[in-house]
Amino acid sequence: MSTTLTATPAVVPAARPTARSTGPSFAGLTALEVRKSLSTRSGRSVAALAVLVGPLGVLLATLTSGGGVAAAMALGIMGMLIALVLLALGVLSTAGEWTHRSVQTTYLLVPRRGRVLAAKAAAMALLGLVLASLGVAGAVGTLALFTTGVSWFAAGQAVVTVIASGAAFAVIGAGIGAAVGNSAAAMTGTYLTVLGILPVLNSVKPEIASKLDPAGAIVTLAQHGAATTPIAVIAGWVVVSTVAGVLITRRRSVA
Amino acid sequence: MITVSGLTKDYGGRRVVDDVSFELEPGTVTGFLGPNGAGKSTTMRMVTGLVPASSGTALVAGRPYAELPNPGAVMGTLLDAAAVHPGRTGRTHLRLLASTIGVPASRVDEVLETVDLTAAGGRRIGGYSLGMRQRLGIAAALLADPPVLMFDEPANGLDPEGIRWMRDLLRGHAARGGTVLLSSHLLGEVEHTVDRLLVIGGGRIVADGPIHELLAGDGTAVRAADPASLATALSSAGLEVQHRDGGVLVVPGATPQRIGALAAAGGHALIDLRPSEQGLEELFFQLTDAA
Repeated sequence: MSTTLTATPAVVPAARPTARSTGPSFAGLTALEVRKSLSTRSGRSVAALAVLVGPLGVLLATLTSGGGVAAAMALGIMGMLIALVLLALGVLSTAGEWTHRSVQTTYLLVPRRGRVLAAKAAAMALLGLVLASLGVAGAVGTLALFTTGVSWFAAGQAVVTVIASGAAFAVIGAGIGAAVGNSAAAMTGTYLTVLGILPVLNSVKPEIASKLDPAGAIVTLAQHGAATTPIAVIAGWVVVSTVAGVLITRRRSVA
Repeated sequence: MITVSGLTKDYGGRRVVDDVSFELEPGTVTGFLGPNGAGKSTTMRMVTGLVPASSGTALVAGRPYAELPNPGAVMGTLLDAAAVHPGRTGRTHLRLLASTIGVPASRVDEVLETVDLTAAGGRRIGGYSLGMRQRLGIAAALLADPPVLMFDEPANGLDPEGIRWMRDLLRGHAARGGTVLLSSHLLGEVEHTVDRLLVIGGGRIVADGPIHELLAGDGTAVRAADPASLATALSSAGLEVQHRDGGVLVVPGATPQRIGALAAAGGHALIDLRPSEQGLEELFFQLTDAA
């Protein structure tokens, strides 16, 4: 049975006095996403790990090798670790909401999903920049204080690479998380690809792997290698994961 | 405030919501009833745009929900109390929502007080009982004091005191001119809370109207000091008599005036005489079994 309807005037009642009459601005939404990411124990833990993994890694390398380190190489490797940790932060920001179903509240309050995902990407880029900066600063400081015989050639480019790739990987994680919609599956699949499949591919078809491997691209770029291919690889991952995340999220039902 | 027209949803060739239409007016509490899988939750999700409709439209305050400038200020929605991050505290969860909607942070403490969660506001949601999560979900829906409330099974996990509180909340909201759509399996609770019923079965609306009209029966219920004697008298008068619990006789198709006159003529002492009503449970099964 259906009921015949009468027309309802297209009038939106004024919001009650306490509420804003419009939705949050993009900057406000981005700030909210930053707060969300750091409002859980898992988010704060991953953020702390992103800051600490660099200096701890350098310290460990110093203790085991005894010195004589090229800063660019050390920072490149630490940058890769920082980026892989920030990838998890990005995944948690999107897939975590699907896993816990809190995405329902998110899209009830801001139904334009593309806008939400853009804010999440901006928030992850911002967090990635800040956390990677802190991490690389710690790594540089540790190198300067505790490691002997450090070669600082091209260390500046390595620092810039670590910061930029940290931001990029956080955005990549957000895109993959949005596309997959499940934290465990998104992280397992991504790490398996980046740390398992691509290294194997690199051992048999290095010319192909160099065009696909985003983690290897960080190390190459940090060590003052050819910049075009690594930048293109990382940018490709950003674009593909973000586009996939947006397209899939916009079509997915929130059950 | 909510206008649904021809809303339909197909999942892989299976139609789960079929041409559902209704309109909800301010100042009313509407109960949305139906068995599991009848399409209630899917309909509610289509109203909010969480699930895209295969066809049809749903308007809230005259616009598709997704086009409302600040939806949380127009409609407070509770669809799934478990859909929250368990690692956040209740207060943090509400503060994030308050920032999204644009209400002051002080409003968070007010709604926590309203739902009696002030003491638990600093605890992680993962440690909340189902009833506490329901209260938190209701608090979230009330943040902007929106004119429309849409709750899916809000009484799940609430104790009797909580259910009574929720009934007063919803009735009070409607009394202030608000619009409420309430889905619940607790038929007794719905019967005491709503003004109007929407019953959905097999994805289609099978009843839509004021609750007193839907529950009104076509006949008379009568109790006599000597039920057997009155039943014989009524049967002799050519009336069909149905025996119910407590010595109640139901006479379909007869008015109370006629039954009273027959009883007086036969000298039968009556204890109760009124138009017959069917219970909501009886109506529910009658409608949904047919669907």
